[in-house]
Amino acid sequence: MIPRQFLITITLLFGLSIAMSVYVWQLQRREAAMPQPAAKAEHVAPPTSGPMERVTVYVAYDDPGELRPQSISIPLESGRQQRAEGLLAALISIYTAKNSPHPLAAGAEVREVFLVDPGVAVLDLNSALVDGQVSGVLAEELTMASIIQTLSTNVPGLTQVKILVDGKQRETLAGHADLSGFYEVAQVGEVAKELSP
Amino acid sequence: MRSNNKKLSGWASCWLAVNAIPLLLTIGLMRAQTTPATPGLQGSGSPQTPATPSSPVQAPPGFIPAAKPMVMIDPAHGGSESGAVLNPAILEKDVTLAAARRLRGDLNAHGILAELVRDGDITLSTDDRAAKANSEHPVLYICLHATSEAGGMKIYSAMLGEAQENNGPFVDWNTAQSSSLASSRSAQQQLAAAIQKSGISARSLRAPLRPLNNVTTTALGIELAPTTADVSQFMSADYQQNMAAVLANGIAEVLSSLGTNPGASR
Repeated sequence: MIPRQFLITITLLFGLSIAMSVYVWQLQRREAAMPQPAAKAEHVAPPTSGPMERVTVYVAYDDPGELRPQSISIPLESGRQQRAEGLLAALISIYTAKNSPHPLAAGAEVREVFLVDPGVAVLDLNSALVDGQVSGVLAEELTMASIIQTLSTNVPGLTQVKILVDGKQRETLAGHADLSGFYEVAQVGEVAKELSP
Repeated sequence: MRSNNKKLSGWASCWLAVNAIPLLLTIGLMRAQTTPATPGLQGSGSPQTPATPSSPVQAPPGFIPAAKPMVMIDPAHGGSESGAVLNPAILEKDVTLAAARRLRGDLNAHGILAELVRDGDITLSTDDRAAKANSEHPVLYICLHATSEAGGMKIYSAMLGEAQENNGPFVDWNTAQSSSLASSRSAQQQLAAAIQKSGISARSLRAPLRPLNNVTTTALGIELAPTTADVSQFMSADYQQNMAAVLANGIAEVLSSLGTNPGASR
């Protein structure tokens, strides 16, 4: 014989689960009916404030496959992270401009930069940058070396850089340059020397 | 009383059986680890343990089998992974496979054994490629790529630091190349010089190109490039023959400097 209290409890719990299911179903319907927000448009905007500063960026040249240091003046904020974001925005704008020596697709950008102590930077590239990247060992290496060398030269203390694409881990940039691990800044420095004119 | 004894002996047998299995496994593992290194090994002489379960036991860096110097050629990409689209009709995976087959033929003509990591249009991960290369113990591993950018061949070595710490028999899969890096960089310079001697420009660079990092022997990546802006020359017999001949000559020079005898039979 099943005790009465037990039957009451089971009935209440069953009723509760039905009510919860109906509530969740309604929430889902409401969510589906809501207009979907446009894809996250946050990006690293070029800095508009801060004192002008002369910095060295490493610019890739597809022909003849070189990485050249170039001095530019840009407004940079004093914060380490804002500085990193400003630098990369300025660098990418060189590649998306007309007559770029190493063209990247329009809309290419570094979405976010995270500086993690001690010495680790995590860069989140957007898919426009990666999808528009020319596939090839040297072409991809130039992009990676340009970004990392520019960052490490102007943001002291970096030892490793990790690259994500749209916030996710990715195997390669465009079929060649490995993105699965961390880039050692010292190793990228050696590559930059080999790629220098 | 008798049934109690029976029960007790039953439990004891179960206990022994359960404990015997890990004991036997442990003894087996210990015996496997103390097996002497393969004769003909150079370098540290300590056996290396693969970092992935799928890969077999790997040879120490600088492994040079006495009787069968073999070059492992890896045509990059393949199957669902087409690599660069060099032009709408020419995919990198097809160029690398055609070049690899030519190169194998030319190396054989030099008396050098050569094998391909893939000899068809199949998908292989970079880990699979490295595992295959490491299990076959080639004296030289070459990964072929192709680009549409004219500008001569590029010879790549792994973007790694040289090995500094000794982890005994264990090798980090991601830096397995470290111990052979000096040999790879030396081969890289020699191959570039040999290619330049034939009138084709060649450049030596290090690159973050997998699976170079995971290969335990001398390992290079080669990026073939058209001599003009016309990518279709990749598929011409003349171009392929010329490139294969140049590379085969260079590889023969590299092998002789590595101390192998290209003419040795397997």
